[in-house]
Amino acid sequence: MADSGLPAVPVVKHDGGLAGVFGEGEFMEALFPGYFGQLRSASFVRKSLDEALEKRAGCASEPISRHMFTEHVEVPSDASDSQIAETFLHHRSLVLPVCEDGRVVGVITRHDFFRRLAELVLDAAP
Amino acid sequence: MALAVGIFAVALVLIATEWVHRTKIALLGAGLVVVSQTIEQEQAIEAIDFNTIGLLAGMMLMVKLTETTGVYTYLAIRAGQLSRGRPLAVVMSLAGTTAVLSAFLDNLTTVLLVVPITFLLADALDIDPIPLVIIEIIVSNIGGTATLIGDPPNIIIAGATDLSFMAFITNLGPIAAVAFAVVTAVLYLAYRSKLQVAPEARQRVMELDAAGAIEDHDELRRTVPILVGTILLFFVHKAVGLEPATVALAGATVMLMVSRQQLEETLSGIEWPTLFFFLGLFVMVGALEETGAIEEVAHGIGNLTDGDRTAELLGITWIAAIGSGVVDNIPFTATMVPVVRELQAGNAGDDAYWWALALGACFGGNFTLIAAAANVAAAGMASKAGTPITFMTFLRAGVPATLISMTLATAYIALRYL
Repeated sequence: MADSGLPAVPVVKHDGGLAGVFGEGEFMEALFPGYFGQLRSASFVRKSLDEALEKRAGCASEPISRHMFTEHVEVPSDASDSQIAETFLHHRSLVLPVCEDGRVVGVITRHDFFRRLAELVLDAAP
Repeated sequence: MALAVGIFAVALVLIATEWVHRTKIALLGAGLVVVSQTIEQEQAIEAIDFNTIGLLAGMMLMVKLTETTGVYTYLAIRAGQLSRGRPLAVVMSLAGTTAVLSAFLDNLTTVLLVVPITFLLADALDIDPIPLVIIEIIVSNIGGTATLIGDPPNIIIAGATDLSFMAFITNLGPIAAVAFAVVTAVLYLAYRSKLQVAPEARQRVMELDAAGAIEDHDELRRTVPILVGTILLFFVHKAVGLEPATVALAGATVMLMVSRQQLEETLSGIEWPTLFFFLGLFVMVGALEETGAIEEVAHGIGNLTDGDRTAELLGITWIAAIGSGVVDNIPFTATMVPVVRELQAGNAGDDAYWWALALGACFGGNFTLIAAAANVAAAGMASKAGTPITFMTFLRAGVPATLISMTLATAYIALRYL
């Protein structure tokens, strides 16, 4: 993920089908302890405690299926802008896997989609 | 009558096995007894104890409104810091805070507030969080025993009788305090080897910035005094002629008026599944009462004990403890209330019967992982945190804790009421 420059990558099953999405948010979730989501806030945790709390070594050995995002955010390759926009608006995923015949063939990142929309808006402006 | 008993028995088995959510089972059971006309709709509605429902709803609203200020996180962190990282002090201060909070808020809420912070403290101290969480579950059930509003069985008993907040605290407070001290000490000794803290880790707890946990100082100043005022009003509710539900709902309403939080968000803090569970349960128990099943059970017990007060009191308390462990103490108490009312009626309204029921049902909440709502919730949080509490792990602490507290309760009943 760090090498590809993508904010999230699809997790693909053996048969090429989509299993889920693993992104920056999921990585943070895996790095920090599971109870973090249940804390109201962590405003009382000082910087000096980071080392004690982060699972820097431990999280690398965990299966990705434990942390991946499994909501259905895949779109077909001929998806409309409206469908893509709706999917980004309703899910927290930063990328949408593009599927054809049940296989993942690519991804659309939110950033790329934003640029496309921005260009459309600029082109339309008088 | 057979139909009412049959539906109720199946419902209890399903609740105990947890295959389906208990609220769905209670609503289905209630629906069946009404549809089959085992109980008329009008009687079914009368069977619902709105004093219990109102008290629960009012307390849930006040907890939700005060919780967003971060005050409970602050208390839990301060409790951890008060100990300076020394194992015995960590256990005592976390257990003490949990027990006191449980006495005045409900156990479930207390556990939901304290457990995540406990995980964080355990990480900072580099110790296993599970012993601390198990101790907290157990003392929350013991602490909740002390007051009318502390534990669902007490709320149900208060709804069905005219016992006051002061009556609860003066009759149940002393034994709850003794049981707390003894059980916490025993659990500490049992878990001692898992609670050793390295000197450098002790320092880490002190680095938490408790004051930083307060998220909204203005909201804190608006809401927390009302919570404290409401709790004080509970102490005198009988003297001023107000039912507990009125006190709780009045407090919640005043808090809603002064709070700046969104109403929709606040109302989402009401645990609707719990309230609907109570509704369904009351209707099913209403059908048992209406058809005479409760009276027969009471007669059965009466014949068995031959009306002997000692046998009845000790029988009630131990049956309640074991029954709560197997089923869940809420449905168990709701069923036992009319039975105890029958038994007690033969003894000129002797209140000791209610204390026997309360002690058994509340302490019995520690028997198994499913015996009380707080246990189930804490186990759920632990597995989300990646360190599940298994049924057996809990049982190893829960059974001794229940036996110790019930032995103390038996001695207390014998000394004070026999």
